[in-house]
Amino acid sequence: MLDLHTITVPTDPEEALAAVVALRRLADNIERQAVRSALSQGWPWSRIAQALGITKQAAHKRLSGVAADMSST
Amino acid sequence: MFQGLKSKLNDMGTVKLLCERAETHALLDQQREPGAEHFLLAALDLPDGTARLAFEKVGAEPDALKAAIERQYADALRAIGLAADVPAGTPMPAKPGLYQAASSGREIMQELAAGRKDHGPLLGAHVVGLVAGMSHGVAARSLRALGVDPAHLKSAADAIVDVAQAKA
Repeated sequence: MLDLHTITVPTDPEEALAAVVALRRLADNIERQAVRSALSQGWPWSRIAQALGITKQAAHKRLSGVAADMSST
Repeated sequence: MFQGLKSKLNDMGTVKLLCERAETHALLDQQREPGAEHFLLAALDLPDGTARLAFEKVGAEPDALKAAIERQYADALRAIGLAADVPAGTPMPAKPGLYQAASSGREIMQELAAGRKDHGPLLGAHVVGLVAGMSHGVAARSLRALGVDPAHLKSAADAIVDVAQAKA
């Protein structure tokens, strides 16, 4: 388990902002994997949206590509 | 006049190929909208070969750019104490509708369009020169991760453009 106390925010803005970009990309990747997993286990979009704390419409808009990707494989 | 029209038509074909390749690289990178780093990868795919030549002029291996992009993400996470390698997933499907680039990608497209008042064909080296001129962002960090001095790369790309324009 990741100990958040071990996270250090660099004082150099360039490094700190680079970390923000990398974290967003990591989060997006984790989100797509989790949604793919949820859909394959039969979760409806309403449940996925609730778990992500967003509306069903927002979840579908942002992540419908995951479903399209699953159906094409 | 005919030469100018021919050049414009060639440029349109180059822009189309550049945008398509940038989108493909973005989707492989699991991003919907191509950024400057994806346009740089796309420039290396252009058949004129001038983008690859610019890299080679500064002693950089063009085919190592993709790995350098990945490495700068891992380096950025490591800088905050997080060791996480994001495994390459399946490419994203293309987004239907109008072509959209990320902010850094839009900047490259806008600067390319603005620079089209210059004579001469649009070359991969034009894209390299523009991307190398960006001081911040994923593309700039990737070039540094590749061990490339962006200023040198920009000079090399601009010199290649000058030679090509003098020949045209």
